[in-house]
Amino acid sequence: MGYLRVGIVTSVFVLIAALLLMAAAPLAAQEPRLAKRLPEPALGQVDAILDAARAGRLPTEPLIDRALEGIAKGAPPALIVAAVNRLRDELTAARTAFGEVASVAELVAGASALRAGARSKDLAELRSLRQSQSLTVAVAVLADLVVAGVPADAATGAVLALASEAADADYVSFRRDVQRDIAQGASPAAALGVRLRTALELAAAPAGNQGTRGGRRRQKP
Amino acid sequence: MTESDELLDRILTTLREPVYLDPGLTDRVMATIATDPALRPVAAIPRPRWWQRRWTISLSPLGGLAAAACLTGIVGASMWARSRSAVSGPTVAGTSPTIAGVATPPTQFVLVAPAARVVSVVGDFNDWNLAATPLAREAGGGVWWVTVPLTPGRYRYAFVVDGTMWRPDPDAPAAPDEFGRPNSVVTIGGL
Repeated sequence: MGYLRVGIVTSVFVLIAALLLMAAAPLAAQEPRLAKRLPEPALGQVDAILDAARAGRLPTEPLIDRALEGIAKGAPPALIVAAVNRLRDELTAARTAFGEVASVAELVAGASALRAGARSKDLAELRSLRQSQSLTVAVAVLADLVVAGVPADAATGAVLALASEAADADYVSFRRDVQRDIAQGASPAAALGVRLRTALELAAAPAGNQGTRGGRRRQKP
Repeated sequence: MTESDELLDRILTTLREPVYLDPGLTDRVMATIATDPALRPVAAIPRPRWWQRRWTISLSPLGGLAAAACLTGIVGASMWARSRSAVSGPTVAGTSPTIAGVATPPTQFVLVAPAARVVSVVGDFNDWNLAATPLAREAGGGVWWVTVPLTPGRYRYAFVVDGTMWRPDPDAPAAPDEFGRPNSVVTIGGL
């Protein structure tokens, strides 16, 4: 009789422990930085997007950052979920364009460019033109130019035209020059055209006339 | 004592006497068994190996709870670690400013805000935490600045003045915003 009672008590404890374990599992699956800052059902929806991203071997940190940005800005939960979901789609498209070996930074920049209006096939062409170099800065410059007002097709064409010759620093200088011209009143298309022509002339000029140092072309003052 | 008692005593005495067997009897019996196939013991059922044997684990109720708690901890820790790692993103400000052995220069954020009392920068590099990266005020002026080590990547960010006013960086490219507050963006090359 005593053994029977001990057996029943043990079974009850084991059952309680199992229930605790089952209850703990979904809690552990939640992103801890979002758990106390995003209400349900948005939290569950974002967690589902993160799980899908993990299953698809996409980086989750940019998605979490986007949710944290929305929370910090006091955005409605539904808007946060939509923004995270949209970014997941853009990251997926960027990885399709860049391939499986793309870094997180390249994927994030690629997502920005796609958001700005670049096409997947253009990103894939950029990858083929800069196979041994990082795409992060080139793609980021593309996105920045479009946000600055340059038409997406023109910005894409300029970035592709510089792809085989330009270093990251050249892209940054090119973007800065175009934005400065636009800030001073030039039309975005005109600013892009002038600065691109200058950059291409520099690339085509003999090495001695470029101010080359350390394998990189120096920007004109 | 009756006659039957005496008889019983004699029987018991006889039975209690030790029996002396021939010392070679056991060897002879075993030799006979070994040579006679009909008498060979059944050896078809092998002894189960250690992984085939049944194990009996005894746990007290308290021990069962402790084991369940340990299991819960292990599962929780592994899922938390998985959620943190997957494919790691930008490094949070304050951690190592190197990646793949290549040092990346720190990034300086500057805002001119003479009337501000407190300025902070929030972005993808600090979990958009208003308290994480406050700017320092240059003595005698309205220039606020902070230096943040960033690994290669593209980061959205904004300044927050006096805890409530969101302001983009006037010296940086703008970034599209989905939440109704202006953003800037900085790109660190290298990856």
